[in-house]
Amino acid sequence: MKSEALVLGIETSCDETAIGIVRGRTLLANVIASSVDEHARFGGVVPEVASRAHLEAIIPALDRAIKEAKISFADLDALAVTAGPGLIGALLVGTSSATGLALASGKPIYAVNHLAAHVSVDALTHDAPLRPTIALLVSGGHSSLLQINDITGNIEKLGQTLDDAAGEAFDKIARLLELGFPGGPAIDALAKSGKRDAIDFPRGLTHAKDNEKHLFDFSFSGLKTAVARYIEATPATKKSDVAASFQEAVVDVLISKALLACTQSGIDSLVIAGGVAANSRLREVAAERAAKRGVELRIPAPLLCTDNGAMVAALGSLMVSAGASASPIDFSADSAMSVLEVAR
Amino acid sequence: MTISLAIDTATSRTSVALVRDGKVLWHGSQIGATDHGSVLPQLVQTALVVSAEIDQVVVGMGPGPFTGLRVGISFAQAFAWARNIPLIGICSLDAIAHGIEIDEFIVATDARRKEVYWAIYKSGERISDLAVSKPAELVSGLPFFGEGSHLYQLSQSQEFLYPDPVALVALSSNQKLHVSAPLYLRRPDALSISERSS
Ligand SMILES: [Zn+2]
Repeated sequence: MKSEALVLGIETSCDETAIGIVRGRTLLANVIASSVDEHARFGGVVPEVASRAHLEAIIPALDRAIKEAKISFADLDALAVTAGPGLIGALLVGTSSATGLALASGKPIYAVNHLAAHVSVDALTHDAPLRPTIALLVSGGHSSLLQINDITGNIEKLGQTLDDAAGEAFDKIARLLELGFPGGPAIDALAKSGKRDAIDFPRGLTHAKDNEKHLFDFSFSGLKTAVARYIEATPATKKSDVAASFQEAVVDVLISKALLACTQSGIDSLVIAGGVAANSRLREVAAERAAKRGVELRIPAPLLCTDNGAMVAALGSLMVSAGASASPIDFSADSAMSVLEVAR
Repeated sequence: MTISLAIDTATSRTSVALVRDGKVLWHGSQIGATDHGSVLPQLVQTALVVSAEIDQVVVGMGPGPFTGLRVGISFAQAFAWARNIPLIGICSLDAIAHGIEIDEFIVATDARRKEVYWAIYKSGERISDLAVSKPAELVSGLPFFGEGSHLYQLSQSQEFLYPDPVALVALSSNQKLHVSAPLYLRRPDALSISERSS
């Protein structure tokens, strides 16, 4: 019995065709082919464009990943693939490719949850195994707060965004400030020269009346409206001040709620993943406040925060070492797969 | 001796066949317009019990509804890649037409949005371009075959509704019929920012 499983992971839930290979907790390959440029002229991800791009990109990505990992396909112990949530047409290219590989080779297949995979990528960055933890997932596609009791099978959902994802909010404000796409890095950069307390923008769902129903939910649409109104009313204002104050409002809400979840659950560990985890102010505030509360903060390396195949392989690898059974070959992809279901 | 694994998901039917030198070892299919993703692996798993040895994969490249079509193609290309064996793509309409012993006819499959994918065949060959149209535009006097013909009452025939995976294998020996990319026939349904504002 090998202790370190060699696992290949496939991720195609949105616009990245991604293949990762891990051995146990060690990253061997992380190949990402993005169709983001093809979507730019449409102003957002077009599902059919993404699906076509996945079908074209997946075999070359497999070739590159095998080469990068310096292994042969036959060496692999198991396969893992994102079964949901995501765009159904995009997911199906990944799951059908994965079942094709599995049946051709007789290798076991783990059909896993994309959100759980985002958290499990922690295994590739930190040596110590993940204890029960709170997880904040923030990207252009999701904003969720999760309680991870056991990453291979026991996850609770604490809250999520009621409207825009955190990354979407960054993109929309960047558009208002004419900073281009994607908005996250541009706002992060501009905010560095602005005053964080210049404008007091609203923090959504943080008032006493929201706490009963939405203690751990997020809402960013009110903030977006407030920023738009502010820019309209005070056109002479410095863009850097708007960017810094907006960013501060988002970061404040995200980190406050995540740490409140730690306090309430008695869990002293916080993982932050997703593309927005790359935001420098978010990392700064998280580190500062987590330390103050005695919460261990774990943020994966930036390249592992955005959608990738390594996170899927990592979750597969954790499932193999936990002795979890593989998925049936006729599992179905599910665009709305709940995070309560770690694997099918 | 060559054993071919044939797969087609270009219509509402998911079909798999195992063919050795023209002789059908196994074939299976199931109808369900949104079930390709879970049905195809089941069928192939059963086929592999009959013969685990496969020398080449032949797949229907459409035209057909995109999401289902890609299930077959992505499965087939991954299977062939993992086994390091050849993958051959064939037009799915050709695999419906192959068994029809009439001199001239039209094959039409469902393209959704009240349209059909179609082509004209004569003396065993496709003589028109592949096209997508409203059924009403296909007034020809020729006999119709294929799922779309049945759906839009262009034909009463219950035969030759779906691509025959065994036919895919027979056609694969003719290099001129090989297709290397999915036959979508339609562009993705989206307007660019400039198209929208104009
Ligand atoms: Zn994601």
